[in-house]
Amino acid sequence: MSNKNIKNILALAKELRWQIGDDYHDNLTESIYADASKIVEDAVTKDKGKSKFRLDTKIDKIVTSKIWGFPIMLFILGVVLWLTIIGANYPSSLLAELLLDNIHPFLKNLGTSIGFPWWLNGFLFDGVYLAVAWVIAVMLPPMAIFFPLFTLLEDFGYLPRVAFNMDALFKKSGAHGKQALTMSMGFGCNAAGVVATRIIDSPRERLIAIITNNFSLCNGRWPTQILLATIFIGAVVPKTYSSFASLSAVIGIAVLGIFFMFFFSWALSKTVLKGEVSTFNLELPPYRPPVFWKTIYTSLIDRTLIVLWRAILFAAPAGAVIWLISHIYIGTESIASWTVHSLDGFGFLLGLNGVILLAYIVAIPANEIVIPTILMLTVLVTGISGGEGAGVMFELDSVTGTADILRAGGWTLLTAVNVMLFSLLHNPCSTTIYTIYKETNSMKWTLIASILPLVAGFIVCFLVAQIWRILV
Amino acid sequence: MEKTSNSACETCSHFNPDGLKKLGIKTDDFDFVVALAGNPNTGKSTVFNALTGLRQHTGNWPGKTVIRAEGAFEYNEQKFKLVDLPGTYSLLSTSEDEEVARNFILFGKPTVTVIVVDASRLERNLNLVLQILEITNNAVLCLNLIDEAERNNIQINTRILAKDLGIPVVPTNARLQKGIPELIQTISELANNKIKIKPRKIKNIPKDIEKAVQELSNALEKEYPTIPNSRWIAFRLLEGDTQIIEALESGEIVAQ
Amino acid sequence: MNYNPYIALLLFFGISLILFLVFRPKKGLFFLFKKTYKLNHKIAIEDILKLLYHNQTNNNSLTANDITNNLNYSNSLIIDSIEKMMDSDLISLEGDTVKLTNSGNEYSLRIIRAHRLWEKYLSEKTGFHHKEWHEIAEKKEHELTVEDTNKLSVLLGNPKFDPHGDPIPTSTGKMALKKGTPLSNLKVGSVGRIILIEDNPEIIYKQILAENIHINSIVRVIENNTTRIVFHSEGEKFVLAPIVAGNITISVLEKKEIDEENITRLVSLKENETATIIGLSKESRGENRRRLLDLGFVKGATIQIDLLNPLGDPKAFLIKGTSIALRKKQASKILIKKD
Repeated sequence: MSNKNIKNILALAKELRWQIGDDYHDNLTESIYADASKIVEDAVTKDKGKSKFRLDTKIDKIVTSKIWGFPIMLFILGVVLWLTIIGANYPSSLLAELLLDNIHPFLKNLGTSIGFPWWLNGFLFDGVYLAVAWVIAVMLPPMAIFFPLFTLLEDFGYLPRVAFNMDALFKKSGAHGKQALTMSMGFGCNAAGVVATRIIDSPRERLIAIITNNFSLCNGRWPTQILLATIFIGAVVPKTYSSFASLSAVIGIAVLGIFFMFFFSWALSKTVLKGEVSTFNLELPPYRPPVFWKTIYTSLIDRTLIVLWRAILFAAPAGAVIWLISHIYIGTESIASWTVHSLDGFGFLLGLNGVILLAYIVAIPANEIVIPTILMLTVLVTGISGGEGAGVMFELDSVTGTADILRAGGWTLLTAVNVMLFSLLHNPCSTTIYTIYKETNSMKWTLIASILPLVAGFIVCFLVAQIWRILV
Repeated sequence: MEKTSNSACETCSHFNPDGLKKLGIKTDDFDFVVALAGNPNTGKSTVFNALTGLRQHTGNWPGKTVIRAEGAFEYNEQKFKLVDLPGTYSLLSTSEDEEVARNFILFGKPTVTVIVVDASRLERNLNLVLQILEITNNAVLCLNLIDEAERNNIQINTRILAKDLGIPVVPTNARLQKGIPELIQTISELANNKIKIKPRKIKNIPKDIEKAVQELSNALEKEYPTIPNSRWIAFRLLEGDTQIIEALESGEIVAQ
Repeated sequence: MNYNPYIALLLFFGISLILFLVFRPKKGLFFLFKKTYKLNHKIAIEDILKLLYHNQTNNNSLTANDITNNLNYSNSLIIDSIEKMMDSDLISLEGDTVKLTNSGNEYSLRIIRAHRLWEKYLSEKTGFHHKEWHEIAEKKEHELTVEDTNKLSVLLGNPKFDPHGDPIPTSTGKMALKKGTPLSNLKVGSVGRIILIEDNPEIIYKQILAENIHINSIVRVIENNTTRIVFHSEGEKFVLAPIVAGNITISVLEKKEIDEENITRLVSLKENETATIIGLSKESRGENRRRLLDLGFVKGATIQIDLLNPLGDPKAFLIKGTSIALRKKQASKILIKKD
């Protein structure tokens, strides 16, 4: 009924807008602020001498100073990572012992005793349960240490200062200083890092931060790096230097990740993201003492819930698939060994092998189970004895035992180096992919974020393999 | 730590502590919807947690809540659903969080809007307050972080402020639950129409704009006599806000 | 396995090279192919209309030959197009000169409207550099339908002017008038506001853009002779050749609305100095401008440096009680007057 009147109103608005000209928005904002300052004049009295709390200024002067700014930052990041890796060791092995060594056999026995057929018993406990248990054992302790620490720093108000200090470096590659933080969060968990990009309110810089977050080596991948570096890199140098060499190799991989993050940030801002709006906005809030125990508690509960949710939603199906492909036979060969053989050629070209590629395909939901899957598949394909028996994921307590199995599977130093590289440079895990989709709401960016690191991984591994074979 | 009973109103005749129940995330069957708006980093989420008893994470970071969070409390046998909106500096630009906040106040039609401001940085916060008061007629100012303001030697005369803004003003320190009972009491009185308020409308607008706004809002009010925020819609139409134009065309803007 | 790492590497680099040649930005074969494929009569016709329109407003008459010389199309395409335009009554011939008919005039206004609106769009809603706007709009103007342009206009709030000050025709062909004097005609000491930077010819336009001169800023002439024109604007000093200055149109201000001498940019503020904000430079546009305004960088606000960065950039400024970090690029768009 009133459609015509609405049309008239809209036409009137158009005409009036045209008359008042292009400075409308400026004028409006200015008058609102003028109004605000009138009200404040009326109602607020201020002792002008000390308008800013003095302790704040003192802390700020130190944490952003030329001499101390960067050392303090690196020191804090180092402490957080160190606490996470060292501190997670004990609870991780405790959880592994409980979930894998005690509850797993118990469940299998239980299944047998109530008369489950072997396949149901295997599917449920060797497949689904093991994958879930693994993810919890590997991921929960570091997450529960890393994120509460980060949250405390965040509540205190230190993190915006980090963004402030680092911005000049990130600006050069077209990114936002706050990406320093989302990147650091990525060292904990890429999905959490992607969610954290919400603090970046400029669309272009936020997309850059989301797409490149996967180049931060996450907690699910640190153990792989450490294990392979210990076995293969530590072995090429004299014994006294071996732990130093393997440590440097792991740090080197993490630093390489940062390098790739900068490179792809730059490349993205120069190409596909060129036309996106870019703004910069960074408020430095006053310091506030964190409510210590409450923060720890909230953050702990949050993280535990995320890990459990992820384990059940993503790792459980992966476990099921792993069990199925190694137990369903086509002719005389299981699907797993058939796939491994057909991937072997491509794998060789990349300095990897079919087992590794298949492990990375089935481990898309959770990078934590890559090593157990590789071990299981290696035993399955080579037919050597070891582990839990055919088609069950396992990890060995002894590093030498793991090394023996891998060497029997044809691993060389090149394979180890390339797996370390590939573990850094491949598609994000499915939790992260899902999170990216939810955050960007766009198929296109999710695809780019998923494929870009994979292509980078293929290229880097390929080049390393060829050059290695020519030189060595 | 100070106890909540330090708060003056906990024992005063108006507030009824037995009538308060914090319901956490049980948000079904509510009587009123309360929106929580404010600048980033004003302790808005802390106020949200204090009202609902929830423990939503609150970071010392501008712009933490992007998805709106919901919670509830019950007071004097009435259930209030509380919606925590993303923190924004303004409602005039076009970023995603601003749209979420703006759309909720405009289309979600909350019974009461609680505007949380940082007492030590009132002037900057008033920018958003004045914009919100153009959209809604039922709001209360929550003057949070009042302790921080005192530490910084800033005194605020809440009576003058309330008179200037035309809405009730409640000083709080949400971290220590100070002022929360008064806030709940005020929300309840506003929801039940026990206080009459007349929110301030933006003054000092350049003449040509004011004239255009008048002309447009008159036309809008002629079409929809009950519309509470014709002036604000006029502001947005002049800006060419496509969402508002569409809402006007579809009738959503006046739907009850 | 029968395989040689050298050959593998060679193949890899070969494929990379081919992909590079095909998809290289702008110059790649893929893009060249796309360009020639897309070139058709519609674009040629619309470009001829624009050329005629611009020359008509400057009272120049053009012959068919002039058109061929002025546009970068093959002769046959232009002659074909001119014939088609005669058939559909867009142009008429008067002796040698080609004239726009009424419908031709309308059509060219439509194209100009699309072009200028798209430039406005690029300046407000995207992150493209201002040097790229014109080129992108040159392509886009041929793709937008009348309906698209109207929608675009609403989205942008029915703007009157494009980012370099040219009036945008309304859907009915109405255009805002601009009365001004070329900068080269201004007397020493006079003050005025830049209302138009002519984007034609492009060589001069690019020179002006490179100088960091922009629309709506206030200028004060301090020297004007046959060799050069010197003026102050937004705290900086500029020197231009008269021919370049002739392409900048100024609306002379009677009274000195602002004391131009003391205005400088926020980047020049030093520690322990305080200043009052005069306003935002017109270079700051779109989302960026609105953000700065929302954060309280408005006329009359006091500002001082709060924190310096170990790497020099950004700096944190204390404004309206809050510490806000701005990059150099942003700080250079805020005009201040030191106390």
